[in-house]
Parts: sequence; structure tokens; C-alpha cells
Amino acid sequence: MNLKATIGMETHVELDTKSKMFCSCEVVETDEPNISVCPTCLGLPGALPVPNKTAIEYIVMLSLGANCNITNEGMFHRKNYFYPDLPKNYQISQFDFPVGVNGSLEIVLDEELHSVEIERVHMEEDTGKSVHIGSGRIDSATSTLLDFNRSGIPLVEVVTKPVISNSKMAVAYIEELRQLVIDLGISKGKLEKGNLRFDANISVANEDSNELGTKVEIKNMNSLKSLEKAIDYEIMRQSKQIEKGESVIQETRHWDENKQVTISMRTKEGSADYRYFSDPDLPNMIIDEEFINNSKKNIQNLPTDKRKTLKESGLSLSDSNYLDKGDKWLYDLYLSTVENTKDSKSTFNFLTGELQGQMRKAEIDELPDWVDSEKISNLINLFETNEVSFTSAKDILAKLLGEDIDPISYATDNNLIQSSDDEEIKTLVTSVIKENQDIVERLEDPEDKLVGFLVGQVMKSSENKVNPGSVKDILLKELFG
Amino acid sequence: MAEKIPSISKINELFQNKEMKPSELFEQVYETASYTESVLHAHLELFYDEGLKLSKESDKRYTKNESFGLLDGIPIAIKDNINIYGYKTTCSSKMLSNYVSPYDATVVTSLKKAGTIFTGKTNLDEFAMGSSTENSAYGPTKNPWNPNFVPGGSSGGSAAVVSAGSAVASLGSDTGGSIRQPASFCGVVGFKPTYGTVSRYGLIAFASSLDQIGPITNTVDDTRIIFNEIQGYDSKDATSITPEYTKLENKKIKVGILKELMQEGVSNESQNEVNKVVNLLKEKGHDVTEISLPLTEMALSVYYLIAPAECSANLSRFDGVRYGIREDASTSYEMMNKTRSVGFGEEVKKRILLGTYALSAGYFDEYYGRALKVRSKIITDFKTAFDEVDFILSPTTPTPAFGFGEKTKNPLEMYLSDLCTIPANLAGLPAISIPTGLSENNLPLSVQIMGKPCSDYSLIDFAESIEEMVEFNFSPNLLKENNES
Repeated sequence: MNLKATIGMETHVELDTKSKMFCSCEVVETDEPNISVCPTCLGLPGALPVPNKTAIEYIVMLSLGANCNITNEGMFHRKNYFYPDLPKNYQISQFDFPVGVNGSLEIVLDEELHSVEIERVHMEEDTGKSVHIGSGRIDSATSTLLDFNRSGIPLVEVVTKPVISNSKMAVAYIEELRQLVIDLGISKGKLEKGNLRFDANISVANEDSNELGTKVEIKNMNSLKSLEKAIDYEIMRQSKQIEKGESVIQETRHWDENKQVTISMRTKEGSADYRYFSDPDLPNMIIDEEFINNSKKNIQNLPTDKRKTLKESGLSLSDSNYLDKGDKWLYDLYLSTVENTKDSKSTFNFLTGELQGQMRKAEIDELPDWVDSEKISNLINLFETNEVSFTSAKDILAKLLGEDIDPISYATDNNLIQSSDDEEIKTLVTSVIKENQDIVERLEDPEDKLVGFLVGQVMKSSENKVNPGSVKDILLKELFG
Repeated sequence: MAEKIPSISKINELFQNKEMKPSELFEQVYETASYTESVLHAHLELFYDEGLKLSKESDKRYTKNESFGLLDGIPIAIKDNINIYGYKTTCSSKMLSNYVSPYDATVVTSLKKAGTIFTGKTNLDEFAMGSSTENSAYGPTKNPWNPNFVPGGSSGGSAAVVSAGSAVASLGSDTGGSIRQPASFCGVVGFKPTYGTVSRYGLIAFASSLDQIGPITNTVDDTRIIFNEIQGYDSKDATSITPEYTKLENKKIKVGILKELMQEGVSNESQNEVNKVVNLLKEKGHDVTEISLPLTEMALSVYYLIAPAECSANLSRFDGVRYGIREDASTSYEMMNKTRSVGFGEEVKKRILLGTYALSAGYFDEYYGRALKVRSKIITDFKTAFDEVDFILSPTTPTPAFGFGEKTKNPLEMYLSDLCTIPANLAGLPAISIPTGLSENNLPLSVQIMGKPCSDYSLIDFAESIEEMVEFNFSPNLLKENNES
């Protein structure tokens, strides 16, 4: 029996606004509880919500970035459920008139482009945070503390259609979405901070079947590694059950990082009744052409655009995607450097291999401000034209990361320039041949390992100032004609 | 000693001419309260110390001729579902028996800036759900005209204090008639402004799309003065509007009599008041025509789906987690359950259940969804009607005040007492109730005038002209008895 998995992703993106969604409380990043709260985000009696215009602008930008149609008259709905960290015991969300519908995101898997269809993009407010004392879970805690700093922070939920078929694709989708919100400048996009949190809806069915299998939801993950493992585990778990002839239960599970398994949280008997209804405290969101056009003004150089530019510079799709998802400075540095070097592959390799490697080793997060594309491209050109050896180039780079030097003058001043002067090399070669007649006599053909030994001798006698390639050429010409 | 309190303009004149000081008026009002309260139970809390202090500050302003305006030094009572910083806001519920508000409602901020002195907080039906103040967790308020009768509700306390003279005016809230119906029962003026003209920020919500704060006063002019102070756009309320008030161009006014509120279900006594006013209007040369809005008959049903639906979500926040009372339990859900069971009274629970049901999957379209559709038709109907007439005249209530316990056993009958007032809430219209006469058993009767949205000031002007025509000069028995003694 051949089985196939179908996955749909629901991702919450925390927007990077100054103030919360429905009040003017500052969005803060702190462990000190309840310092940025007011009557509205605490759900005090009589307090009212007033929408944050910037947040609405951001969700329109995200919807446009995800190629969605914009709903011109969006509505806020109340989603009713009781939970101690939900101050009003309803969450202001969107139901049948979300801001964005029917979009798609282009993702990269190896050297291939895929499209992930987006069902909807909607706005909601975040809840407070429960800190369970004595246990990580509410049902076994001895007490629970509540922190409402997070309460009311604007969230956007992006929901895909069930079109993802494996964990790698899911990861690529999240990477793409993350880069989109970063490039739009609407979220910090830090997974470790929970700026993106995702739920995966996974079902497994017979490959030939037109119907989806029973849906299992894995809730609240915020690392790509967990996402990948959780999906792989869940597909395996469900497949085994189906192969054994057992049925999969519709339920919500969570990924247990310690045990590396998914664990059942609650069984869904039908769907929960949230009694959605239009929030009478909030008039409809009128998103007209003018608003959309203003939002468009803030949209430029999205991941797809960047990827296109990178590809046009000569990089492969996967290398382009790598730089697309990297830091902005690296992307900028690459583009300005490759303009000088005209060699995309070697520039890519030098930047992502040597430069990033050395920075990691030296624990430098940001490029020192004296390091610019001119210096880097000069350095790349030095070793690409064999004027310095690759080893020297690495040394120069290390130096450059520590202090403001000019790679060319540094190479010259420190005698790192290799000579390609044929006459000079010829003189050195002649003397080495003369001094090593015993070896020369044992040479059988140009592929002989002893050729390398002789090249080494020439290099040594030049104190590494000559280009080893030229040495070899001249040596072979002298010996074998 | 109790005297009928003069109008706000008159009081201001006395203050300006140094014939009376704000602190003297405050003491007088407090003295009235100290004997009327024992009978009426209209105030839940009196702010004597702070009131006296603030009224003395007002004294100084008048001495220096630096008063803040007409409302400076005027003692006003606030319904106990409107937040005043540092004071309890109980909503007459056990749930909030210990709740002290950390912020002012926008209307309270406006009145404070105007130099108003708060007498205290007034009684109401729990969370403003009721028509008699019998649903208060702290006991009912009595009608100053006859303590055997209810003062109406839900702003029963706010109407009673004005009627009894223990405040010059008061603020109430009106979701389905909660200002106008008690004003009518207590023989005072009650005004529900156009939805959105007065900020709801700081008013504890019952049904957000219907709730509106408004004044209860002795005269229509007092209503104008207070409305003028509390109206206007508020950035803290997203449903707040920047009103562009319409003016009346013609001296000759066209008045519509709403047929559906002049038939069976409305007492003859109440209908007679309308007829009396109609005759007076005709004498003045105004046009009076009968109009028919058949959907008015469905207004009550629509209201009893929309209001409970909204309240079921609005009252979810009372869970014992962050404020209010909390019942001990071993889990958080059990705690919430117990707290809500103990904290809410019967009527509140009934409406939460009703609303929850109306919003539930499978019932939504049939109940709440359909109610919304009828509501928008009612709005359209009124709009069409106001193309023909300037104002719509009707009784405020089907009957004068009823006795305690008379309708508590039959909720439908209780709900019917808001028959005439609910349509204005559904359509967001301004509506005012003014006393016009007394019933057979010496209880006040009123008429209601509705205007089109944002006609508030012209509606007030028109009501004032009727006020002059009818010359309602009666005082409640409570005041008379005390005068005699």
C-alpha cells in the first residue's frame, strides 16, 4: 500500500508594531511581568478596543506579499472560549471576512521552484502568557501565574491550503514566509523569540485516494528542526496505524522535544464551537484602493525579487535561495562584490565559506564598517588571478576583519604577491634541476609524483613568491619539452 | 426640608450672583439624600467627603469669577455601571462587589473637567439588565412618587435621585430604554442620544451595539447642558462618531404618530398623553400625521436576540481571574464556573444562556443572523419614515410604574415595558422622554420623541417646546410629605 501525506500549515506571525493591536500599550520584550498593560489589554470592565492602523497596514502588506486578494471590507469577529490568560474570554479575530484570501508563496526545494497556495491571511490579538508553577502543564500545576505583557500584541495568521507533502517542503515554506515578513519589515521574524509559531495539520491517506485522511493537528512549534522532526514522526505514526488497519483519531497533539515524539493533547469531538460573531465594538475595516496603494509603497525587494536578482548574477537556484534567506548585509555585499569580480560562484563561495566561516570563528555578528565590497572584491581578484595564494588570501581576510587594511597594499607590503615572471621562474627552475639531477633521472612521465616535489623545491627557493601553476608549467616544459 | 431643585441655568445664575455657593447646594442635596435614601435606596454609595471638598474648590472659582461654566459645582449622580477612578463600580452585581476602577470613563472625565461634583453611584438592575431595578444584588430602589412602585430600570437609581432631589441630574445608560423608561416612571426627563455621539469608554458593556450613555434631568434644558458636555468624538471608542448635528429649517414641524405604539398592548392612559400632546402641537400649527412601521412589532424579539448575544460575550470577562469576587476551587475552570455561578444573578444568567444559545453553531442563522437582518430593515424603515416627518411621537412606556413583584414572575410582561423604547436603540436614534401628566393613581406619565440620527439638538429644542406646552408641575409625594412635616 502506497501512502501519501497531506499537510496544511497555520502560522502565527507576531507583528513588529510599536504598540499593541487594540490599545496604546507598548510592545515590550522583557521577563518582568505585567509592566505594559492597560484596562483594554487586561479586559477590565468598560474598556474598549481601538484598532492599530499600522497593524492593519502590515497585514495588508503581508497579504499583498503572499499574492492574496484583499477583502475591501474586513470584519473583526469575537472568537469565544474561556481560558485564564485570555482576558476577555473572547479573542478578537477574523472569521468570514479575513483581510487576504487565495494567495500563494513560491518556495525553493533544491534546484526546483514550487508554489504553496495560501487560503487566508487574517488578523487577531495575542493572548497573555500562563506560567505554570510546579509543572509545565496547566492540569498538573500547583499554581499558575499570568503575564499580560503579550496580551493584545497584533498577530497575523497565515493559513495554507492542504498542499504540502512532506517535512522538507513545510520547512521551506516557513523559511520563505519568515523571509517575507522580514523583508516587508513587519516582523522581526525571530523563531527563537516565538515571532513565528506554527501548527501543522497532517493527514495520511492511500496514494490513489481522492479524499484526505483523518487530520491530526500538531500545535505550537517555533523551531524548524522540531517542525521537520514532528512532521516526519507523525507521518510515520499515522502510516503505521493505517498499515496495521487501525484508524487514525482526529486530535490535537504536541511535539515533545525530550522524547522526540508527538503526544496527544486533546481529542476533537467535532469542531469546537467558538460562536464567532462580528465584534460590535469595532466598525468594519475599510481597505480601499488608496489604502492598498499606500501599503504597496512600502513593499519592495521581496524574497522572490531578491532570488531573481541573485539568479541573474549567475548563481544556481539553491545558492540564490541561500543568500535570499541570509542576512541582508551578506546579500548586499554579494551583489556589489560580484559586480567587480564578475565571478558569481567564487564570490558566493568566498563570502559564504571563508568570510562567514571566519566571522563565526571570531564570533563577529556584524561586518566591521571598514570592510566593503571594494576590498572584498580586490581580495577575491588577488587569488583568482593567482597574484596571491589562497592561503595568503585567507590570512589577509583575517587581518581585514581585525583592522582597516587595504588588501592590495597589504599583500605588496608583506611580500605576499606571487611572481608570474617567466624569466625569473626559469632561472629558479634551471637551478633546481641542476641541484636535483638524481631525482630528474628517476622521472618517468609528467604525471610523476616527483614533479610535485620539484615544484615544491622551486617554491621554497623563491620563498613562496612565485605562482606554483606557472612553476609547474615551466618545469614540465624544461623536462619533457 | 426639601425644595424642588431649580434648573441648572438658574443654579448657575445663583452661583454667579453669589446668592448661593456650590458647597451650600451640595450640603442641601446631601441632606435630602440623607432622608430620602432610607426610603428609596437610590444611591449605592455617596461621596460626601470628596463632594464637599470639590464643591468648596468650586466655591473659590465662583468667588474669583473663574468658574468652568454652567456645570461647575452642579451635583450629579452616576449610574454604577460607569467607572469613576478610585471608586467601586459594582454594576449592582455580587460579581463586582469589591471592584474599584483604576480609570475614569470618558464621560466622567468630561464632567470632572466641567467642574461637576459627583454625589455618588446609583442603583441599577444587575449589569443594566432589567426594567424595574428589582434585579439589583443590593436590593431594589423605590419610586419617589410612591415607594410601593418600582422606579423603572435599569437606571432606576439615577431616575429616582433626580426625582427625589438628592442630585441635580444624573447619568444613566440606555440599551433598550434604560434611561427613558425609569425617567418616565419617576416623572423626569430622560435622553438617549444618537448611537456614537457619547463615548462608551468606561461604561461597563451590556450590549455594545445598543448601549448609550445619556442624562436624566429635571428639565429639557438641563439635558441639553449635560449632553453638550458629554457628547463628541472619543478616540478611545472605535464606534464613536464625529457628529454633524442636523438643524431644523422649518418652524412648522412634521410629527409622525407611530401607529404600532398606539394600539393594544399600550394602556389608554399612556395613549391619552400622546393625544394630549398632539392636540397642543396642532394648536401651535404643527403637522401631525399617523405613520406605520410594521416591523416595530418585531423590535422586541429582535432585541431579545441581539442584546443577549452581545452580553453573553461581554460578560465573559467576569471570571474571577483578574478582579471581582473569586470562589475557591481546585482547578482554574472549576474556579471560573463557581465564581460565575455565585457572582451573577438569575436574570443575568438567563440572558447569557439565551445569547450563548442564539450564537451557537446550527442556531446562529436562525436566531442571531435573522435578528441582524430584521434590525437592518428596521433601520431602513426609520430612514424612510424620517424622509416624511421630522420627529416621531409615542408613549415612553405602555403603562405607568408598576408595583414591586408585579412582573418578576412573568419575564415576558416585564420585557414588554420596553416595547416603545427599544426601536430607537435598534436604529441608533436619539430619543427623549418628557413627563406630561399623572395617571389615575398619581404616577407620572410621559411621551417619547424620536429623531433621525444626529438630530439630537433639534430634538431637544422640540422637546423643550412640548415641555413648555404641557407645563408638568407636579412633584413626587416624598417631597410633598417632607415639606408638610
